[in-house]
Amino acid sequence: MLKTLAATVTLTLALSLSAAAESNYPDRTIRIVHGFAAGGNADTVSRIIADAMSQDLGQPVIVEARPGAGGTLASGYVAQQAPDGYTLQLLVGGHPVAAALYKSLPYDTMNDFTYISTVGQFPFFIGALHGRFGSLQEVIDAARAKPRSIRIGHAGVGSTQHLTGELLGLETGVEFLHVPYQGGAAATTALMGGEIDLVIDAGTVILGQADAGVFDVLGVTSATRWADRPDVPTVAEAVAPGFDVVSWTGLGAPAGLPQEIADRLNTEMNSLLGRPEVRERIAALGANPMGSTSQELHDLVERQVATWTRVINDAQIERR
Amino acid sequence: MLEQFAMGLGVVLQPSVLVYALAGVVVGQLIGVLPGIGAITAISLLLPITFQLDATTSIILLAGIYYGSQYGGSIASILLNLPGTPASVVTCIEGYPLAQNGRAGLALFIAAFSSFIGGMIGVVLVIAAAIPMARIALRFGAPEYAMLVVLGLMAATLVGTGSQLRSLAMVLVGVALGLIGADTTTGFYRFVAMPELADGVSLVSLAMGLFGVSEIIRSVNSDAPPQAKVSVSMRDILPTRAELRSVIGPILRGAGVGSFFGALPGTGAAIASFMSYAVEKRVSRTPGKFGTGHLPGIAAPESSNNAAAQTSFIPTLTLGVPGDAVMALMIGALVLNGVIPGPRLMVDQPTLFWGVIASFVVGNLVLLLINIPLIRLWVLLLRIPYRKLYPVITIMICVGVYSHRSSVVDVALTLAFGVIGYLLKNYRFEPAPLLLGFVLGPLFEENFRRAMLLNGGDFTVFATRPISATLLACTVLLLAYSLFSALLGRRAAARRRHQSVS
Repeated sequence: MLKTLAATVTLTLALSLSAAAESNYPDRTIRIVHGFAAGGNADTVSRIIADAMSQDLGQPVIVEARPGAGGTLASGYVAQQAPDGYTLQLLVGGHPVAAALYKSLPYDTMNDFTYISTVGQFPFFIGALHGRFGSLQEVIDAARAKPRSIRIGHAGVGSTQHLTGELLGLETGVEFLHVPYQGGAAATTALMGGEIDLVIDAGTVILGQADAGVFDVLGVTSATRWADRPDVPTVAEAVAPGFDVVSWTGLGAPAGLPQEIADRLNTEMNSLLGRPEVRERIAALGANPMGSTSQELHDLVERQVATWTRVINDAQIERR
Repeated sequence: MLEQFAMGLGVVLQPSVLVYALAGVVVGQLIGVLPGIGAITAISLLLPITFQLDATTSIILLAGIYYGSQYGGSIASILLNLPGTPASVVTCIEGYPLAQNGRAGLALFIAAFSSFIGGMIGVVLVIAAAIPMARIALRFGAPEYAMLVVLGLMAATLVGTGSQLRSLAMVLVGVALGLIGADTTTGFYRFVAMPELADGVSLVSLAMGLFGVSEIIRSVNSDAPPQAKVSVSMRDILPTRAELRSVIGPILRGAGVGSFFGALPGTGAAIASFMSYAVEKRVSRTPGKFGTGHLPGIAAPESSNNAAAQTSFIPTLTLGVPGDAVMALMIGALVLNGVIPGPRLMVDQPTLFWGVIASFVVGNLVLLLINIPLIRLWVLLLRIPYRKLYPVITIMICVGVYSHRSSVVDVALTLAFGVIGYLLKNYRFEPAPLLLGFVLGPLFEENFRRAMLLNGGDFTVFATRPISATLLACTVLLLAYSLFSALLGRRAAARRRHQSVS
């Protein structure tokens, strides 16, 4: 009885204390951690939202890059931080990929994070040298006629670009030769030099070349066409019904973030993503700025972990 | 073309743009001097500032930091055997002995002068030959890169003053170190003892450890200033006519080598400076002088890394694809400003293209003008006693290394490499070939395996493609020449011994 009472008192005290802390949130500097090189896409997106958040929340928001091991060092670090809303993480599409690709991670992808909201989503585009193929169907036919004759360059083994190419092969039942490069730019250069036949990468990598007439864009990997390129067919309508790959950026925090803070941050994200100057900057990075509910981001991660686990199993990619 | 260049000059010389051009080169120069902190760190830190600038000004600012850092990199190399950037490691080999002989001023002058000429040659090539050079670069596929790197590895054994066998051993150690991390071809983790090593050992931490930290350990017993008496009179700084003549050839060759490697995506200033040093040693009539403070050994690599810094803009500006991490940041700045880089940049954005090019000319001139008077100031650094100078430098190295990927493991490794570098030096093994092996080894592996993957494991691909075959032939000839001259040398030595006995 006494024990129960003591426990109740402690619990009530703890709750009221944390409630007090929450209502003051934020009263000091917030940091957004990410796992990629300074100056890269994740870093830039972090800075754009940090900039807008600090204006709204009245506290400085700083960006901290902890690059390495495909972003998993940063995730491992964030998973161990206090869920007080002062350590946030910019997550990317590589987050569910890592869950599928690594033999062991120092964190649990679904249970060690509070998912707050997406920031932006972007599809990949399939580029070929101008005039080489008339359509995606032609590519598939050629690959079916002669397995491993169509060479797809990608940004690195286990990158989302690579797995998207593998998925394309699995869904259409043809065998491609997947050629690894160190980043999308190196693969693009190789495509220009004719070393490979296709590159699957983000719009920022492919579309500039397409505008200059160097590349043809054969398809877009999302379920619907990309608003800026209404003439580019989706992979789903061209060759593989149901095909849907988007990469994304989103905001997360350590697991156990108090609901009130999570709600506050979700409202904040959705409101800043409605502002034209923020939308413009994120759109410049080739992404469609869009917020979500906490549950939607959680489900997106869960769905992609399942997809990439299947692709890695079926394509027999060695786990690291 | 002159007309367009004049238009570019018009862009740069607007006060609002000129300020950023000057700020860029001055920051770059400083970043270059500070050990460990490189252009990448500085540019990524300044990237958010470019949110507020237009595309042209952004690139002019960031580009200035990049090529400015190539000027600054040589200063600590010469004075303290402490390379500011990996590209200036080679400058230590000749620059530091010169400084120890009291000729730091001369070495700094030659470095600044060679940097300027090399940089300007690079700029002229960007203006006159950007498109043909980009075309040639595109003809380099996996087999060509693989063979180019083999040639480079051959040359690596020349970068060192001791025996070639010892250099070869160091190259191999470097290659082995380069194996650590995720394998590019399969993604498999190799020798990843801790997750921080998943992306491999950092080049900066290796370079700062083997050169900077080892030098600090070596001098730990000495309390004297590096140079009690240093001359800062202009007479001792300016080269004689004969000295100037001796560096003209090396500067031109260095610029050639540098321009080539700069324009080639995936290689850059660091490889360029090593290669031009190796070339000088090979063509020199007095190869024995290298390692003792030989001026051509400063002139060539300095000219080379600056030429490379300029021509590395060629793939970015003409093709719209970045050749290295620094250029990827430039592209990032363009994208943020709503300019999607692509092959039409030159046509669609003439003020941007020509403004940036004109800023190179202005920037290089400014760098020359600030570097010559500063020489006297830098030399005075040598009057500070070790016990005051080196603790500060050690801290700067740690901060610099940490800044690259925010990794404490990298800092610890730098200190460990310092101890290893100290031991190696004591046993007369030189760190420069090791570093080159470390850079080239993974590049070879990646391209060799890609060539095999693309050609179904057919080795003949290296001999059937013209560029690849030419590079292969050069390697074979160089190897044959080395073996032949070694054999001749041994015979001559035997003959001498024989004569002295009889």
